[in-house]
Amino acid sequence: MALSSVSQTAFLLALLSLRTYQSEVLSEPLPSAPEFLKVSVNSTCQCLHLQWTVHNLSHHQEFRMVFQIEISRIKTSNVIWVENYTTTVKWNQVLHWSWESKLPLECAKHFIRMRSAVDTAKTPGPRVWSSWSSWEEADVQNSLGQDPLFVFPKDKLVEEGSNVTICYVSKSHQNNISCYLEGVRMQGEQLDPNVSVFNLNHVAFIRETGTNIYCKPGQGDRIKGTVLFVSKVLKEPKDFSCETQDLTTLNCTWDPGSDTGLLKQLSQSYALFESFSGKKTLCKHKSWCLWQVAPESQDMYNFTLTAENYLRKRSVHLLFNLTHRVHPMAPFNVLFKNVSATNATMTWKVHSIGKYHTLLCQVELYGEGKVTQHNVSVKVDGAHLFSGLEPDMEYMAQVRCANGDHFWKWSEWTQQNFTTAEAAPSEAPDVWRNVKTVQGRCVVTLFWKPLSKLQAHGKILFYNIVVDYLDRTSVSELLSIPAPANGTELPLSQCSSQIRIMANNSVGTSPASVIVVSREPGNEEVEEERVKGTEDGFPLSWKPQPRHVTGYLVEWCEHPQDPPCDLQWKNLGPNVTSTVVSSDAFRPGVRYNFRIYGISTERVPYLLARKTGYSQELAPSDNPQVVMTNLTSHSFTLSWKNYSTESQPSFIQGYHIYLKSKAGWCHSGSEKAVLSDDAAVCCKYKIDNPEQKTFVVENLQPESFYEFLVTPYTSVGEGPHDAFAKVTTPDEYSPTLIRIILPMVFCILLIMITCYLKSQWMKEKCYPDIPDPYKSSVLSLIKSKENPHLTIMNIKDCVPDSIEVLNKQEGTRKSLTETESTKPTYLYLLPTEKRYSSPGPCICFENFTYNQAASDSASCGHVPAPPKAPPSQLGLLTSPENLLKALEKNYMNSLGEIPAGETSLNYVSQLASPMSGDKSNLPINPPEPALCSEYKMQMAIPLGLASPPSSGSSSLSSVTLLDEGEHYH
Amino acid sequence: MKVLAAGVVPLLLVLHWKHGAGSPLPITPVNATCATRHPCHSNLMNQIRNQLAQLNGSANALFILYYTAQGEPFPNNLDKLCGPNVTDFPPFHANGTEKTRLVELYRIIAYLGASLGNITRDQKVLNPNALSLHSKLNATADILRGLLSNVLCRLCNKYHVAHVDVAYGPDTSGKDVFQKKKLGCQLLGKYKQVIAVVAQAF
Repeated sequence: MALSSVSQTAFLLALLSLRTYQSEVLSEPLPSAPEFLKVSVNSTCQCLHLQWTVHNLSHHQEFRMVFQIEISRIKTSNVIWVENYTTTVKWNQVLHWSWESKLPLECAKHFIRMRSAVDTAKTPGPRVWSSWSSWEEADVQNSLGQDPLFVFPKDKLVEEGSNVTICYVSKSHQNNISCYLEGVRMQGEQLDPNVSVFNLNHVAFIRETGTNIYCKPGQGDRIKGTVLFVSKVLKEPKDFSCETQDLTTLNCTWDPGSDTGLLKQLSQSYALFESFSGKKTLCKHKSWCLWQVAPESQDMYNFTLTAENYLRKRSVHLLFNLTHRVHPMAPFNVLFKNVSATNATMTWKVHSIGKYHTLLCQVELYGEGKVTQHNVSVKVDGAHLFSGLEPDMEYMAQVRCANGDHFWKWSEWTQQNFTTAEAAPSEAPDVWRNVKTVQGRCVVTLFWKPLSKLQAHGKILFYNIVVDYLDRTSVSELLSIPAPANGTELPLSQCSSQIRIMANNSVGTSPASVIVVSREPGNEEVEEERVKGTEDGFPLSWKPQPRHVTGYLVEWCEHPQDPPCDLQWKNLGPNVTSTVVSSDAFRPGVRYNFRIYGISTERVPYLLARKTGYSQELAPSDNPQVVMTNLTSHSFTLSWKNYSTESQPSFIQGYHIYLKSKAGWCHSGSEKAVLSDDAAVCCKYKIDNPEQKTFVVENLQPESFYEFLVTPYTSVGEGPHDAFAKVTTPDEYSPTLIRIILPMVFCILLIMITCYLKSQWMKEKCYPDIPDPYKSSVLSLIKSKENPHLTIMNIKDCVPDSIEVLNKQEGTRKSLTETESTKPTYLYLLPTEKRYSSPGPCICFENFTYNQAASDSASCGHVPAPPKAPPSQLGLLTSPENLLKALEKNYMNSLGEIPAGETSLNYVSQLASPMSGDKSNLPINPPEPALCSEYKMQMAIPLGLASPPSSGSSSLSSVTLLDEGEHYH
Repeated sequence: MKVLAAGVVPLLLVLHWKHGAGSPLPITPVNATCATRHPCHSNLMNQIRNQLAQLNGSANALFILYYTAQGEPFPNNLDKLCGPNVTDFPPFHANGTEKTRLVELYRIIAYLGASLGNITRDQKVLNPNALSLHSKLNATADILRGLLSNVLCRLCNKYHVAHVDVAYGPDTSGKDVFQKKKLGCQLLGKYKQVIAVVAQAF
């Protein structure tokens, strides 16, 4: 009861006090309009900043008030913004409020006014507003300066995709101002006569150094501009995650996205806040941050990652249990122990994550081309045994760990390699042989393939070869061939033998590979079959053998054209009767020969089949070298016996013989063919047998030109149509003619040789140098036939002529010779070289050619040459023509030197009468040669000077033209 | 402004004091000590000529690098944005005496050195990735420093001029970005024009 009364009393007192307070408030006078309203402009953020006070507040009063703010642009009636600003007002408090203008504040005047009211939100009813304050003006244009043009805003920073308003203020009242954004003209609207605005919507990021915006008037050279900095939009950090490696430090990471850093804005910063502990840290890096785990056991963490730049702030949250975010460090100290040929133990250590946590480790083993995986639980040290390993094999093992209680992430791998120990080779080497007989002894060439790494179990050091002779008469032989040999040649004492080959490494010996050499030669008579190769190889098949075989073997040479041929073989099971032999070494156009052997139970191989074929046949690249023989007027024979059909790039099926002739028609046995190379028409003969390597071309025309070509043909085409050989058939009668002409030629030659050998005799007989008239039969022949009275003149019967040289003494000029020539001089003309010492019979004449000195000579053969004439000129004078020339020359000389009439050379002819001629020219004292005939005096002159005499002195002499006959008569 | 005042006032005093007003020659008493920190090079004038030739050879490339790095509209409005309209640039009279020319050269180098410093500072902020421009600006500033030292040596040694009043260009730190770009472009345009004349004069 008492308690109830006390409660009622307290309630009444409280109600009373509330009423009292209300009455007090309501009784207070309402606050007046805001006073001391001041407006300032911040151009950097394009903000109007207002500050004001409220009067009529008592010292302890505190009201929640609403201030209604009106902003007008250009003129007060143009209200562009109305906002109610609610705040708690204290006595004498200066209130602040800012407004960011979309339009640069420099572009227009702004007017601000406000009124206030008590915030009556808790009590219903309309507000009672105070009166408006007076309009305050914000006009920045007045403080711009004297420049004629301004562009605003300056260096504004906006986000990509936002809308921006640009304006220019012109003080020069120019209307033709154009503005550009990165060179592209912007379309604006005029705000007033001096101001135009440009609204840029969804501005794009262009470059970090900002976007140039500029305006230029139509006249003048002033360009004004501003730089707009467009920032990329700050995005929320992605993939925010925290984890620990050691439960002491948390590493939080995230994807920061694109950098929003600009000249006017730093890159975004990141801060990490943990709500349970209330701690905050500023991250130094853009994509990760470290957080120190509290020493006290705080399991749960609630992180807020905040990205912030000048324009925006973004946050992401993350709540987690610390033990569920353990990312262990990579294991370390990985070692291998007890490594044998097939087993190895791997050990490793892990970084502890507390004694209450177990790690799950994953072990992987790489080797033999495969991967095996094992899981191991680990507290501190881990170990795992690898078994079933291959000997002498390199393995790579790796291990990683994760929290075994609450899996979060695996650690990084830690790797280590190891190699198992060697063991004896597990397989016998694959062996084949080639048996030949040299000088009656069997020589076996053994070939074997190196063991694979999996078979060798270590490095093969040598091969042991044991030869056991089957007839037991010889002792076994043991050879050791060092590796890496893959074959050897063994001369055997006896052919029948069993050979065992074993490979050895450092640990042991492989099983033996047994091969038996039989005394009997193989079945070499097996017919060879052709096989056609495919892209996959050569498909080979054979008949199954009735007798028991342990397997089959196919043998071939990979390089049949190049010795050694690189013998290859392939072992096949006893139930296999076909196989495909393939090799990268197979080449098109190469013939491969395959031999298929059956291996008996006694390990004796015997030949079952022989196959030959091409992996791909190619057309022959060469034609045979053809020899032509037996050429007649109607046929010839072609032969190409050296042409090997085995070494061709395809199976030769036969030959084509092409024959070109001018006739253009073909005989039976041939057909017309047109060659594709030169479209020439020719006759084609066909030989179907590749071993027939001769051909007789018949039915040819004599003396005709033919061209022929022999080319092989195969299933893939024929040889090249290159150079045709040329032949011309001989004349049909030429052999007969040759039989006649050859003996004739022989006879003529014989005669000519004889004549040559007897030439001296012939000369003496027929044409001696000095014909002897007595010996000449020709003369006698003439004598007898023509003039039997002709006799040979005897030299003794000849009366020599004499030449009298007369010198007239009345001339004053005398030559040297004239002084001694007072008596006549006689020249003796001799018909030959022979001189006659006796001044007997002679022919003398006076010749104008000879000068005075010459006339002194007593002998005709010794006529002195004129002073200026060479000695040989004398010889020339013996010829009539030369003599005439000499006359011309000397005459010209003599005309100048010797006056006419002073000296004269007179012919004294034996035939002329002494009384004939001009008597005045007769010598005063004429000589008296006893037997000489008297010559008529003559004077020789050149033909050109032959004119009738006109002067008295010269008229005494008769002038006669010398001709050929006159010289020697 | 303090710098301007410090430079202009003594200059005015000099102009009124010295016979022949209008001559920018400073006055150094004949007996005044004129000591250089380091001994001057024996062939100073050759060095000065070489340095001027070097500057003249690289001025155009620097100008091109600059306006290209500023982006549009600079490369296509060189006459309006990069014209050599630098009103307070120190004058140079190519037909003056060597002493006069050296004094004027000293003023020009001092002016250019300060202006290039402003430009280099601004461009490192405005175009942080234009490394070749930065390199060229630094290289030019280095040569200017050497040239200033050589000219001072010459003035001091031969003409006993120990002090020359200099003036500097406007500080661009308070300007907006576009204005910084424009002022820099104008200065480099002027520099290209003046250095050709100066190099020819020596």
